[in-house]
This record gives sequence, structure tokens and C-alpha cells, in this order.
Amino acid sequence: MKNPILKNLSRYLAVFKISFHHEFAYRVSFVMWRVRNIIQIFVVFFLWDTVFSTQGRVIFGYDRSRMLTYVFGLIIVRALVLSTKVVDVAGHVSRGELSNYLVRPINYFKYWFTRDLSSKFLNISFAGVETLILYIILRPPFFIQTNPISIVGFLVSIVLAMLIFFLLLFIVSSVPFWAPEMGWGAHFLVTVIVVEFLSGALFPLDILPQSLQSILSYTPFPYLIFFPLQVYLGKVSTIVLLRGILVSSVWVILLWFAMKSVWRRGLKAYQAYGR
Amino acid sequence: MKLVSRLSNIRSWVPEVGSQKKMGEIIVSGYRKLLVTFAVLPGKLKTDKPITEILINSYKRVGYYIGIWYMMSKNSFLMVLAQKKVLFIFLLGKVLRFIFFMIFLFFLVKGAGRLSNYTVNQAIFFFLTFMVIDTTSQFFFREVYRFRPLVVSGDFDLVLTKPIGALFRVLMGGADVIDLITIPPLYAITIYFGSLLAPNTFQIYLYIAMLMSGLLIATAFHIIVLSLGIITLEVDHTIMIYRDVTSMARFPVDIYKQPLRGVLTYLLPIGIMITLPAKAIMGLVTPFGIFVSISFGVLTLYVAVKFWHVALQKYTSASS
Repeated sequence: MKNPILKNLSRYLAVFKISFHHEFAYRVSFVMWRVRNIIQIFVVFFLWDTVFSTQGRVIFGYDRSRMLTYVFGLIIVRALVLSTKVVDVAGHVSRGELSNYLVRPINYFKYWFTRDLSSKFLNISFAGVETLILYIILRPPFFIQTNPISIVGFLVSIVLAMLIFFLLLFIVSSVPFWAPEMGWGAHFLVTVIVVEFLSGALFPLDILPQSLQSILSYTPFPYLIFFPLQVYLGKVSTIVLLRGILVSSVWVILLWFAMKSVWRRGLKAYQAYGR
Repeated sequence: MKLVSRLSNIRSWVPEVGSQKKMGEIIVSGYRKLLVTFAVLPGKLKTDKPITEILINSYKRVGYYIGIWYMMSKNSFLMVLAQKKVLFIFLLGKVLRFIFFMIFLFFLVKGAGRLSNYTVNQAIFFFLTFMVIDTTSQFFFREVYRFRPLVVSGDFDLVLTKPIGALFRVLMGGADVIDLITIPPLYAITIYFGSLLAPNTFQIYLYIAMLMSGLLIATAFHIIVLSLGIITLEVDHTIMIYRDVTSMARFPVDIYKQPLRGVLTYLLPIGIMITLPAKAIMGLVTPFGIFVSISFGVLTLYVAVKFWHVALQKYTSASS
């Protein structure tokens, strides 16, 4: 008799492998997605390279090496936090495909979390190679963090960011329970617009006035990209680091309960359209 | 079998299709006639008919196509307006994206002093010019985003057999009402920021002319994406890469270093398409720049239409 925990684990390991191979079934799509990421990095890199063209210039609390490290860090952090498969959940709900999964002996949230991990693993592998190639081409000054507290803080904040984004997307994906035609619209508004701008994925949020930064610090968005990179760059004190981790953790808990509540109500409203 | 039967019926009322020519060749010849009508291929205008008759016929054809475009756009608008919540969400998203970027640009250039020697107002005007070209082309060419399913399913056959240009149908067959709503305030904001740069009358006319040239290049890009769609069956990512590349011109291309700046100016002419018109209103364009802008606009459109003809001949009608 096989250990039930191991049996459960092997089930999700199989999901991980299938999801990983699934990505390679659409190679062109994957390569194009990575190309798009690189183009976005090019824009941000050259923009900040121009702003810091004068030697020794410090703007918004950044010197040239820290700002260009922020830009390169975006490749890695975006691959870890923002690469996801959960966006497909909305389609499952609106097309009624969710029914197929509800009858399977598998936890739907763990299934998608495993698929997310698979996507992140693939993306971070490519992101590592891209970072190396871009580094060779652009030769930016690079800031290497050596403080163990900052490195551990960075890793912890990344894990929390991954959880926040996963839960946020799951809540957004529940919109089609009540409005099946609005699945993509809700994702467009939250992930393409709000997360892209308010997470620091396009620019470091500390270029904004202090009042705006204070308001944003109470939302979950800065903790997705901006905060982990600030921690890596050593721009936060230990107190601010602990406060940030605490706020991120509170958001994870709040979003977890919100997601459970929304899905419980959503499943009651679910009508399996198209099935 | 049903489709074959339908196609046979269509053949009876589209005279040229009754011959043994291949479908692609028929469409190419039909589209050439359209181009002659619009005088895009001047060499083909050699005819014994008096010029007044040619002009009257051309006006009639233009009127015919405007009528069709109006009908297709109305249908497209009605489809979107039927889902008001979706319309609201996408409209809100577009407005928020615009506001966020304006805020970012304002604080960035204000904090940095200048951006590659451009002031805050100038940097914002570069972004607004990008938005004008991007939003206007999105409004007219939204149908390009729906082209792939047509080719993959073979339903493009049904477009080819209709008595209108296939390119016209797949390029301009579904104007976007959301962009239409955003265009008037966007133009108003652009005019306001343009007026802050105190241009003279000549610079304003030059800006409009070069903006038109930029729109020609944008049209050419969309035709190339459609053509690649026929050859490779890939449209979605190609159009998004086009948008990513053009988004590099949200800032003046002067911020990019060589050789990237050269590539963005001449190879992927987004510098000519967006940066140059904005520079025209600031009085920073030389006569050579004007010549290059107009020439590139016409040349890229000509090349794109030629490429479309080549792509059409590669259409296999698979899955139909």
C-alpha cells in the first residue's frame, strides 16, 4: 500500500510534468512571449540608461548601477512572479470546462498552483539565459547584493509575491461565474493595466510623490515586483523589510479568505454554460 | 459538400470565379483592379477612356467602399455595444493605462530635469503622438486581431469569394468602438500639449502631413502582419510584437543608442512613423527628414501590398 501523501505528491508531480511539456507543444507562442519580454526590457533599459547618462548622477535615490540592476532584476522577478497559467481559469469557468475538473480526484487550487510552478520554472530558465545574453550585449554596471539578510528577505518576499499574484488572479478569474463574457476584460483591467503599472514592473514606484507611495504601500501591488527588488538592492532598512513582509503576509491571508469565499459563492452560481 | 455547393452558387454571381483560374490568382487580379481604381498602381492606368470617366468611376468605387465600411463598422459597434459591461471595463482599462503613463512620464522627466534634452511637455507630446497613431490605427484595423481563425479554419475562402477586396475586408472589417470613444479626448489633449510648444502654421501642417505618413506606415505594418498570417498561420503574437516594437516610440528614439536607433529609424521605421512627426511640430525636422518620411510612407505601403499579393498565392485553403 503506497503512502497517501506520496501518492498525492506524485499526482501533482505528474501535473507539473504534463504542464511543462504542454508549454513545448506551443513553442512559437512561448518564444514570442519571451521575445516580447525582452523588447519591454530594452525599452526600460534604454530609458534609464539615458536618464543616467551623466556619470555619478543620483536620481530618485538610485545611482546608475542600482537602477540598471533594477531593470535586469525585472527579467528575473517578472519570470518568477508574473508568469502564470491561472489566467486560463476564467476560460474554464465561462466555457463550462470547470465541470471536468470538479469531478476529478484532484484539488483544483493545487492543480493550478502546480501548473503555475511549472510555468515559472520554464520561464525562469529562459530568463536566466536572456539575462546573460543581454548582459553580454549591453554590459551594464551591476549591483551584486552580498548582505545575507537582504538575500533571505528578497527570497521570502518573492515567495509571498508569488502567492499574492496567484490568489489575486484566482479571485479575478471568478468573475465569469456571474458574468461569463467578462473573463478577459477583468484580467485586462487587473493584470495588464493595474498590476503592470502599480507593481513597479514598468518603473520603480519611488519616482512617484511620497503621498502616492504611502497610499500604494497599503495595496498588494507594490509587493509583487517593487518591494522584492528594493530588498535586493538594499534600499530598505531591517524595520521596513520586516514591515513589508508583514504587510505581504497579511495580504496573502486576506486574499486566501477572499478567494475561498468568492469561489464558494461562485460555485453556487455556476451553471456550466456550454456543457 | 455543403460548402462546395455554396461556393458553386457564389460562382454563378461572381463572373470571374467561373473560370479555371486558381482562387488566389483571381483575388490578386481583382484586388489589382481595386488598386487601379484607387490609383495606387499608376502604371496600370493606361487606358483609352477619358480621364473624367476614370475619375467619376474612381469616386463611385470610393463611395462604394465607404458604404461597405460604414455597414461593417456599424455591425461591429452593435456587437460591442450589446455587451455594455465589457465595453466599460475595456474603456476603463484604456483610460487608466493612459493616465498612469502620463503620470509616470511627468514625474520621470520632472525628476530627471530633461529626457535626452527634451522638456516635460515635449516628452509628453512624443507620447501623445504615439497614442494618436496607435489608437487611430487600432480603431481602423482591429479586424486584423481576428484574422487567424479565418485562415486556420479555411473560412477565409468565404471572404475571397465576396465581390469586395479581401484585403479591405480583413484589414478594415471591424472598426473598434472603444477606440472611437477615446479618439476625440485624445486628439483634444494632443492639440492642447501641441499648442504649449508654440508651433507656427507651417509646422502644424507639416505635423499633420507627417502624421498621415506615419499612419501609412502603420497600415503597411498591419498588411504585413496579415500576409505573414497567411504564410505562417501566426497572427496574435506577430501583431503583439508589432505593438511592443512601436511602443518603443512612446519615448523619442533619440534615447536609444546606435545601432538600435538606426534600426528603429530606417529598418523598423517607427522613428519615422512617430518621432519625426512630433519633431516636426517642434521645428526639429530638416527637409531631408520630410522627404524621408513621405517616401517611407508610400514605399512601405507599396511593399506591403506587393507582399500581400505574394502571400495570397500561398494560401492553401486548408481545413475548408
